[in-house]
Amino acid sequence: MMAKKREKLLEVKGLKTYFFTENGVVKAVDGVDFDVYKGETLGLVGESGCGKSVTAFSIMRLLDYPGKTVGGRVVFEGENLLEKSEDGMRKIRGKDIAMIFQEPMTSLNPVFTIGYQISEALKIHLHMNDREAMAKSVELLKKVGIPIPEQRVHEYPHQLSGGMRQRAMIAMAMSCDPTLLIADEPTTALDVTIQAQILELMKALLQEFNASLIMITHDLGVIAEIANRVAVMYAGKIVEYSDINTIFHFPLHPYTFGLLTSIPRLDVELKRLDAIPGFVPDPLHFPKGCKFNPRCRFATDKCREEEPPLVKVEEGHLVRCWHVDRVKEEVKNGLLVGV
Amino acid sequence: MKRTLRKLFSNVTSLIGILLLLFFVVIAIFAPVIAPPLSDDPYNTPRMSWDINPQPPGFPMSDNIRFIYDTMGKKVKWNKAIFGTEGGGYDIFYALVWGTRTAFKIGIITVASSMLIGLFIGSISAYFGGWVDEVLMRITDIFLSFPFLVAAMVLTTILGKGLDKVMIALITFGWMGYARVIRGSILSAKEETYVMAAKALGIKDGRIIWRHLLPNTIFPVLVQGSMNIGSMVITAAALSFLGVGAPMGYADWGQMVSFARNWIIGAPGHAGQYWYTVFYPGIFIVLFVLAWNLIGDTLRDILDPRLRGEL
Repeated sequence: MMAKKREKLLEVKGLKTYFFTENGVVKAVDGVDFDVYKGETLGLVGESGCGKSVTAFSIMRLLDYPGKTVGGRVVFEGENLLEKSEDGMRKIRGKDIAMIFQEPMTSLNPVFTIGYQISEALKIHLHMNDREAMAKSVELLKKVGIPIPEQRVHEYPHQLSGGMRQRAMIAMAMSCDPTLLIADEPTTALDVTIQAQILELMKALLQEFNASLIMITHDLGVIAEIANRVAVMYAGKIVEYSDINTIFHFPLHPYTFGLLTSIPRLDVELKRLDAIPGFVPDPLHFPKGCKFNPRCRFATDKCREEEPPLVKVEEGHLVRCWHVDRVKEEVKNGLLVGV
Repeated sequence: MKRTLRKLFSNVTSLIGILLLLFFVVIAIFAPVIAPPLSDDPYNTPRMSWDINPQPPGFPMSDNIRFIYDTMGKKVKWNKAIFGTEGGGYDIFYALVWGTRTAFKIGIITVASSMLIGLFIGSISAYFGGWVDEVLMRITDIFLSFPFLVAAMVLTTILGKGLDKVMIALITFGWMGYARVIRGSILSAKEETYVMAAKALGIKDGRIIWRHLLPNTIFPVLVQGSMNIGSMVITAAALSFLGVGAPMGYADWGQMVSFARNWIIGAPGHAGQYWYTVFYPGIFIVLFVLAWNLIGDTLRDILDPRLRGEL
């Protein structure tokens, strides 16, 4: 499924966010490029510590010392967000770009009612008065599928279950009708049935509000469910970037390949689940050459010497690997069948 | 909130504290009824005689004083020093009653003001961090390095006599504790996701501190404040006792004790003869401070989740 309108909403170009720690500079995000089109969902996938959340926070400019965005452009609706004033940025946050966090338990303030917290953004950005904002909050809660919203608005976060809280968070994020939603692992802290419900809800809401979504996750199942296009990140860089079908059926980067083969499957008999050997490299001591080379079974001397560029393999499919052909061969040999 | 109140009333020690406090509140509110003022300034303790020696409880107003009131055309609404007089004829009962108001004024104004200053400096310091934190905390350290009583005494001496000067001195050297406590709580609270979520909603820094962080972090400061009300009154009393506090004749417990200084032992051969000069103001100070400490203690037990056994 491709996006209906190919109208660019967000363009991230050469984004570099470094952390200046006492032990040295950590290049958490090192030259990331991607686009988000209107109405589509981009999945940002990777292991913990690969820089996906930092990318999101860099777009929102929410990073505090020692993190600093040192290069690149984040063009949102024609404006470079990195050059905006703090005040200008604040007007965009919550109104045009909203964010959903991983932990619904801690991302709601325990001392305020749900209604108060949803109202806050409405009052700030849309200048509603208390009564209007409350009425709108009830409406939003109804929209995200919370039963008896008239009563729930007056309840505190601890009175709601995890799934309910995440719904309330979504209501908060959607309150000012944003054009771009950034969801940072919104389903990770929830159990599987609730995860499915939340994803369904998000899909429906995106359709209704005609909003775009950047879905950050390590869960390929979530990506398969909701994304149109996928960017796979490894060690601060995008290693593969393509539409959803290609990623699942014809992955061309060994890392993506590894991720896919390490998903337990019901339809294939396997003695032992494949896992990618080794760990994510220490960001202070990245290996020379391709950062994936110590864990890659395709690695050659060239990989250990020189970092591959992100090259276009076909239209809309970019891969950062020297051995695309060899990976292609293996995929063709049927090691990976359709999802 | 309801639970807090219920606990406050179900606990014996806190109940004692509340009753004591209620007793003082009633005295303070009904001071004009309990001890009607005889002059225009109610905080001016009326004198029952010119005698240098304290007079025993039940001492009636001397004729020459009565004569003055009569010639001034003032109605004398009462004429017996039921708790006796201090040296110089100052009525103990009257000074006790109006001194309650003074005590509340000192305690609440100094604690409230220094708490506000402390909250402001501490929260800004913690929230913005970096060099802001560094500068503000070093200023706090400088203020902390003065011994409290000595510093307050010196400042009061410089500013001059008067209760307002005492309070200014107490506030100037009393805010650092609150700043430290709130800084610590905000430092940990600002890492919570809801703060990031609030930022992601485009909420201003000031509002995040005021509406999101302080309600989550203010309780330890409130507990500290309620316990400090008592000690502020003691310090003010100490300053009065040292002679740098309230002006002569002002209805203030500390000054009463200061007046009693020469009479504590009594005349030779009559030990404790003038017990009333020190007993009444002394017991009032003790009970007042005790009331606040008991309440502060219970508040801490209730509001501190670690002591509550929930963490």
